[in-house]
Amino acid sequence: MLSRPGDFFVPRCVGTRGTGYGPDVHAAPLSGLLATLVGAAALSGCSGQGNPEVDAAGAAALRFSSVAPTDAATACSLLAPQTASELEQGSGSCARGLSDASPPAGGGLREVEVYGLDAMVRLDRDTVFLARFEKGWKVTAAGCTPRPDGPYECDIKGG
Amino acid sequence: MKRLRDHGLSLAFTTLLLAALVGQALTGRADYNEQALGAGLPQMDLGQYVTSSQFTVDVAENWQSEYLQFLLYILLTVWLVQKGSPESKPLDKVGRETDEEQKVGAYAMDDSPAWAKASGWRRSLLSRSLGLTMGLIFLLSWLAQFIAGRSAFNADQIQGLEAPVGWGEYLASPDFWNRTFQNWQSEFLAVGSMVVLSIYLRERGSPESKPVGQPHTSTGVEG
Repeated sequence: MLSRPGDFFVPRCVGTRGTGYGPDVHAAPLSGLLATLVGAAALSGCSGQGNPEVDAAGAAALRFSSVAPTDAATACSLLAPQTASELEQGSGSCARGLSDASPPAGGGLREVEVYGLDAMVRLDRDTVFLARFEKGWKVTAAGCTPRPDGPYECDIKGG
Repeated sequence: MKRLRDHGLSLAFTTLLLAALVGQALTGRADYNEQALGAGLPQMDLGQYVTSSQFTVDVAENWQSEYLQFLLYILLTVWLVQKGSPESKPLDKVGRETDEEQKVGAYAMDDSPAWAKASGWRRSLLSRSLGLTMGLIFLLSWLAQFIAGRSAFNADQIQGLEAPVGWGEYLASPDFWNRTFQNWQSEFLAVGSMVVLSIYLRERGSPESKPVGQPHTSTGVEG
């Protein structure tokens, strides 16, 4: 798995719903580098409520989950390119692949965790993984169930 | 020009620090984008990269180890000596030394710092200010490594379709301690090497070395 920068401190944040979110921290002059380092790190915790990234990731997961069981074509537009491509390769088209995977209706939002460009959203009946692209949050994996040791088992995921 | 010369060391190291940070940011971002491209993930611009937890943790883990190195060096050399090393003080001066040797209180000079002439907490604080400051910067850098490290680690967890970890779990994680120890060991090696190699080797004109003709057995003599 690609090891990549986990979170942008400004304004893309890390957080779970209900924890605190800090103000913007920008790259500082050399004299304040240490203060920036510590401050940026300390402010990396952020909240779900009112935090735009957490809210946006949660909304993207909810939207996908609500349309996937009935409108595969729209749901495909909410997938990350590599995830959509994986479905296409397996079934000839993304929509067909998505229908074959029979994603569950996830239900209500329970928890959102955002770390920079990556998010995990727990719904009542599903867990959805997302990544933030230029056009917004896209679903990288859905239909996921936890396993005792190891990663989630996901019916829909990228290669 | 004289001003530049008088502050040459600090200016040179500040310049080197900036250049190295720029180099780290450029190459780190390029490395990331290379991998992101292969994995079908979004790429980042430079501003995004330098404010990412991955860049922060990489910077902080090196900083904390450097400050720990100097903190230990400052403190251990009060109590430990090394025969023949210019990095050590003379063998008979182990400890905090007398007020006369340290030029404090009644033995302070006219141009000594004001707090060296003072008594009580001010003199005590000045007497330990270098170690305290290095120690504080070390702790803050280590804290930054811990916080940013967890963020970066959790991003990886999510990419691998695994659940993020909490603070306690990350504190006990191999990722945090491996980042820490891999930096510590190199710092301890560098300091230990300097202490021992400077017994037998010389660098003409450097205050970190003995004078070239100084015997190997001379301790606490700098060039």
